[in-house]
Amino acid sequence: MTTTQAETREPSSEAPRNHRVREPGVGIGGKAIGLLNGGFLLFWALITTLPLLWAILSSFKTNGEFRTNPTGLPSGIEWTNFARAWNAANIGQYFINSVIVVSMSLTLTMLFGAMGAYVLARYDFPGNRLVYFIFVGGLMLPVFLALVPMFFVVRNTGNIPLIGGLLGLNSYLSLALVYVAFSMPFTVFFLTAFFRTLPNSVAEAGIMDGCSHFSLFFRIMLPMAKPGIISLALFNFLGHWNQYVLPLVIMQDGDKRVLAQGLGTLAANTGFRADYTALFAGLVIALLPVLIVYLLFQRQVQAGLTAGVLK
Amino acid sequence: MTALRHGKYPFILAFLLPPVGIYALYMLSPYVQAIYISLTRWSGLSATQTFIGFDNYVEMWNDDQLRTALRNNLILLVVVPVLTLFLGLFFASMLNVGGRRSGQAVTGVRGSSVYKVVYFFPQVLPHAITAIVFAYVFAPSNAGGILNNLLEAVGLGRLTQLWIGEPKYLVWIIVVVMTWGFVGFYVVLFSAAMQSIPRDIYEAALLDGSSRITTFRKVTLPLVWDTVQVGWVYMAIQAMDGFAFVHIMLGVNGGVQGAGDVLGVAIYRAAFAEYDFGYAAAIGVLLLLLTMTIVVLFMRVLRRERVELA
Amino acid sequence: MSSSIERTTSGMSSTRRTFLQRMAITGVAVGPGGAFLASCATSGGGDDEGDSEPEPQGDVSDDNPLGIPEDEPLEIYIFDGGFGDEYATDVHQPIFSEKWPDVEINHNAAVDIGGELQARFVAGDPPDFVNNSGDGQMDGAQLITDGQLYDLSDLFDAPSWDDPEVPVRDTLIPGTIEMGSRDGTPYVLNYAFTVFGLWYNKTLLDENGWTVPTTWQEMMDLCAEIKSAGIAPWVYQGVTAPRYMNWPLLTMAAKLAGPEILVPVDNLEEGAWGHEAIRESAAALRSLKENDYFLPGVEGMEFRDAQGLWARGEAVFCPSGSWLENEEADAIAEDETFELAMMPEPLLSEDAVMPLETVRATAGEPYIVPADAKNPRAAMEYMRAMLSVEGARGFSETVTSLTSVAAANEEVEISAPGLASAQEALNAAGENVINWLYPTWYPTMENPGIDQATGALLRADITVDEWVQQCEAVAKEIREDDSVVKQTREA
Repeated sequence: MTTTQAETREPSSEAPRNHRVREPGVGIGGKAIGLLNGGFLLFWALITTLPLLWAILSSFKTNGEFRTNPTGLPSGIEWTNFARAWNAANIGQYFINSVIVVSMSLTLTMLFGAMGAYVLARYDFPGNRLVYFIFVGGLMLPVFLALVPMFFVVRNTGNIPLIGGLLGLNSYLSLALVYVAFSMPFTVFFLTAFFRTLPNSVAEAGIMDGCSHFSLFFRIMLPMAKPGIISLALFNFLGHWNQYVLPLVIMQDGDKRVLAQGLGTLAANTGFRADYTALFAGLVIALLPVLIVYLLFQRQVQAGLTAGVLK
Repeated sequence: MTALRHGKYPFILAFLLPPVGIYALYMLSPYVQAIYISLTRWSGLSATQTFIGFDNYVEMWNDDQLRTALRNNLILLVVVPVLTLFLGLFFASMLNVGGRRSGQAVTGVRGSSVYKVVYFFPQVLPHAITAIVFAYVFAPSNAGGILNNLLEAVGLGRLTQLWIGEPKYLVWIIVVVMTWGFVGFYVVLFSAAMQSIPRDIYEAALLDGSSRITTFRKVTLPLVWDTVQVGWVYMAIQAMDGFAFVHIMLGVNGGVQGAGDVLGVAIYRAAFAEYDFGYAAAIGVLLLLLTMTIVVLFMRVLRRERVELA
Repeated sequence: MSSSIERTTSGMSSTRRTFLQRMAITGVAVGPGGAFLASCATSGGGDDEGDSEPEPQGDVSDDNPLGIPEDEPLEIYIFDGGFGDEYATDVHQPIFSEKWPDVEINHNAAVDIGGELQARFVAGDPPDFVNNSGDGQMDGAQLITDGQLYDLSDLFDAPSWDDPEVPVRDTLIPGTIEMGSRDGTPYVLNYAFTVFGLWYNKTLLDENGWTVPTTWQEMMDLCAEIKSAGIAPWVYQGVTAPRYMNWPLLTMAAKLAGPEILVPVDNLEEGAWGHEAIRESAAALRSLKENDYFLPGVEGMEFRDAQGLWARGEAVFCPSGSWLENEEADAIAEDETFELAMMPEPLLSEDAVMPLETVRATAGEPYIVPADAKNPRAAMEYMRAMLSVEGARGFSETVTSLTSVAAANEEVEISAPGLASAQEALNAAGENVINWLYPTWYPTMENPGIDQATGALLRADITVDEWVQQCEAVAKEIREDDSVVKQTREA
């Protein structure tokens, strides 16, 4: 990539200073740069897609085909791969479990994260920096250090009077809360930075209008932070959806496992049974819904941004 | 905010309590326990923990394998963020402001939304799957190796290597896979930042006749610098991990000769393969200190740069 | 199988524990305190969770020698690996349930046993029965040290499933119980019986008129011929497990100089790896690389890929245990004409101390009952059902493996040609069966320790001398680590 930079710098520095408004496509240099850029963009797109395309194609092959012709096209579509993945790894059930857990964890993460970040970004109070650093410090904590003690913490919450029945091990809520906790550092870190960039004038106008602290947050600041919140929700969604280690410790009941866990089992199984194509089929099954959600989100991200610009 | 001084503290308390409470219970308290565990000998299979003071830390000092892991982590730490952020910024600026300027409007290149979807795709993948796929990318050609087969197909057969079988390549394979996985996320992150830059600033730059590079350097970069900083710090932390990739592609021992080991895997190995939770926790504490140092360092350097840029 | 384990610590407490338990079971102390005594005796293991409820017990009778409660559920975990878990659901559980219809079996299969169960062990809430196997297996030695395993003496002393006159102990191949004991107390049931050797592609040998080599010189000559025919002579388990090559390495060394050279290796004695026979054997295997006799790229392959290529005729020899046929069943099924067979490792010299037929064989595939299990008696009863001739034979037929049940191996009709050849090799060996125990005693010594050294040797990255030095260093590390409980054997 360094070469592009060097090459692009050259013609652009030669661009006449007094050429005030450049017309579209004017200048051979500009055109060449455009092509070069397009080339790089396309190149990276290929690098990104090829391994995945290979995985998807592999999910259509028979195991024999996969072995003998790993890089070729499948001769037909081997639907039994998908049946094996579905049956062997119980992907349907895992999928529902993932949806339940992630919808809870994502809502709570974004709500609590935005609340915390907002207060930390825009209110002065003793201990503000301390709380901020305690949150951000969490970014540095290696997750494996926490696994075993965390197991006990979660297990003990099952003994809390009244609400204990909802918590404890093998509980959707417990897992969701653990996700929330482990997402807090980055969420607070990112959103604090975002809330800080919001202009003061709007907040001040809100205050003039007689907003309370609560309504200022929910009616003015939160909507303004929408682009940041959407990006981050997308990020957290994927993080929660693909989480593997945490559910492994908390969801030990076979029927409560989440999707990534199921995929992990499928991957580990392949080590012993060499059923590669079922592994890739499971990957495709798990991937399609995520991809659809992602595409929908993508549109919303852009809609949110356009709305912000139009204002 | 003077008008709202009334009721400020109850509000702050109400807003901070849920996130802080959950965070403290489910995340902080296990780590505090883990720090104690690092001072014990504990197999993790029984409830008996023997307090042994700093013995685990002394043991680390003499552990050659740990030194390899540490060296690899430092390589990942330096190379992956630089590569990822550079590519992320490059592609994001191409996508958002790199297009031809029709009239006065600043647009992205054609198909930029498609590119964004594609680039981001690896982020959607569980690390486990990325690792499995790349284990095949780097496999020997007669065992499915995509890269080697590709090289042979385009007449570069002499460049084929036993990638995963060669100790000297292992850490670089992890660098490549991590970068591959992370670039897309930063493209989207920086895109969001770039799109929130008011358009009239670009138009002003255009009127000045600034080139793309100048526009990028003088306008885009300073305005997204906060986000870059966020991204950089976060990237550095992710680079300290690498667990899933090493564990799945190279195995729990860090691959041939343990040459691809990283601290995360060393922790996992000590805990779940060697049943030495005290030692695992001690490595964890080392990883923690290291990450903290790095973050503080990054913050300092970046802040100074920001002043210079401004 | 002459591996008697020397007692390194006093066996006092466990003997007393067994005694108390037997009293409770045989009814000597039956009465209100009977069950209580037994539960005290077995709850050891540092469980301070305070939930050590008395284990449920039923009345001991001829029909119920282990005194299992007839209506308590039984939770079992089977390692879902090379053997799968069908043998448990389709063979063992029906046998058990026929006798105990009211015991509900809660069956679970897992690939990563340690990952799923480790936390439950710590919490004092483990399942009742665990097939502790696979990559994620929990360190058996550590589990014993931590008092996490239930004493299986009662199982082995109980009458066997098929014949009340013969105790379970006497139905097993000698050495089986010792393999899972510490200080004379059995904690682990090793159920499968594994024969190790060199697998070869019989079809290729027959087609080309090549004969099975009996000496290393013949092996090298044959390799040259195979290579000139455009086939790779050898594969091994690549990046995953170069340690599989330790098996021919140590076996050939033992054949050359006698099984006693393995004793110092197991006992972590200084210089054990430097024995002349071990050096010679290591040099022989290194020469495979020097002569380019390995499948190209094998150094960078996952073991399944390497074995798969072997099973598809890309190479002739592959070191492994008798499970290989089952593991590569898919690949083997692709080609009707493919035939595999096991051979004993060739002799390094004509004046070898042990005969060519010598093989390494051992009881393996560990099954355990956790000390904190809720229903340990039923778990042992389940083991007793596994050890019935019907159960063992069903296992052999389902997973293509021999078992530790002597009678079952004789009666079983082995249709799998590979396993039949392994069985043949075992029969031919007669008394000349060897084994070594350091991988069981000190799992981290074998992997990653010796594993990495052997990997480097097979890539010819290091000389034999350097390999010896590395192995010695690995042994030294274990020897000097106070936290590892040491074991020794005499012969």
